[in-house]
Amino acid sequence: MLFRTLIASTFLITASATAADFSKDSKAKSWRLYGEEKAKFSGKVVDLLCELAGDCADNCGNGHRNLGIVRAADNKLITVLKNRQSSFNGGTEDLLPYCNKNVDVDGLMIGDDDVVKAKFYQVQLIRVTGEEKWNKTTRWTKRWKAKNPEAKGKGAWFRRDPRVKKQIAATGYFGLGHDFDKKYAAENE
Amino acid sequence: MSAPSILRSLFAATFVAATTLSSTAIAVTEAKVVEVKGEMIDTWCYFSGVMGDTDATRGTSHHTCALWCAAGGIPVGLRTDDGEVYMVLKFEGEDALEETDTMMEIQSDIITARGKHYLRDGVNYIVVEKVVANDGITYMSHEDYDFVPPFAKPKKKK
Repeated sequence: MLFRTLIASTFLITASATAADFSKDSKAKSWRLYGEEKAKFSGKVVDLLCELAGDCADNCGNGHRNLGIVRAADNKLITVLKNRQSSFNGGTEDLLPYCNKNVDVDGLMIGDDDVVKAKFYQVQLIRVTGEEKWNKTTRWTKRWKAKNPEAKGKGAWFRRDPRVKKQIAATGYFGLGHDFDKKYAAENE
Repeated sequence: MSAPSILRSLFAATFVAATTLSSTAIAVTEAKVVEVKGEMIDTWCYFSGVMGDTDATRGTSHHTCALWCAAGGIPVGLRTDDGEVYMVLKFEGEDALEETDTMMEIQSDIITARGKHYLRDGVNYIVVEKVVANDGITYMSHEDYDFVPPFAKPKKKK
């Protein structure tokens, strides 16, 4: 009896400790990125600063802090770098409505850096755990439009963004000043 | 193998597996004070390869794209010369990482930062309490890569 119990418990514990296959049933779209792996999992949305340092803020910092997900299956802290939009948008705006809630997410784990032996996450779909309907992570540009009504116009947001324009006006496209940009342009026409 | 030795092996395996599981369940969040020198980078382009390799997605060539990504709320990192990347959680008195001009102004700069370092699940995080030095932008990657991505190149004024 003891023998059978030990075999069963060993099997269960080692199975839990072994890395799970998070790609199972994932509907994430490939972006052909470094080390890309589809990953669908459940976890809790957290403010990284709060989770790591105990420096917590109301509503996970109201969009001003980097957010992540503590994965339920293995308690790993997953740092979210990106939403599903293709124009330089982070993941915070799409995670914020789920601050400190348990969610299901679907997306891509990325990264195969030689030095940094960890992966990061692009969240493509999200829902509160237990709900049926998935939500696409496309809140960023809507929030940007609401925050920047003066930047109304045609073209991509990043060409109209006041903060980007201010910095390029100050130090140029290479960050080394406008004279440097002009000289490079003249030499590379 | 005799029954007692199988039993001993199973006890050992159970202990090792249980220890492994419990160690992964405990978050390592103890902070260490560090001083690190490195380049302020856009972590998405750097890790994902979406814009090219890790040399192309730093320095002057990628500076405009780094501004776009910082404004877009993509986490900023500090990359040291030996390739370690520290995810910046907070920066010298600032609270709102995505909304301050500071994070825009220091993109691609080589800084020496003193602060609290947290390591969890293989990822380095840093709360930058003091910028000890700022050497500005020194990696002239445009000499090899021009603009990354190419559409970051400013259009000629008509």
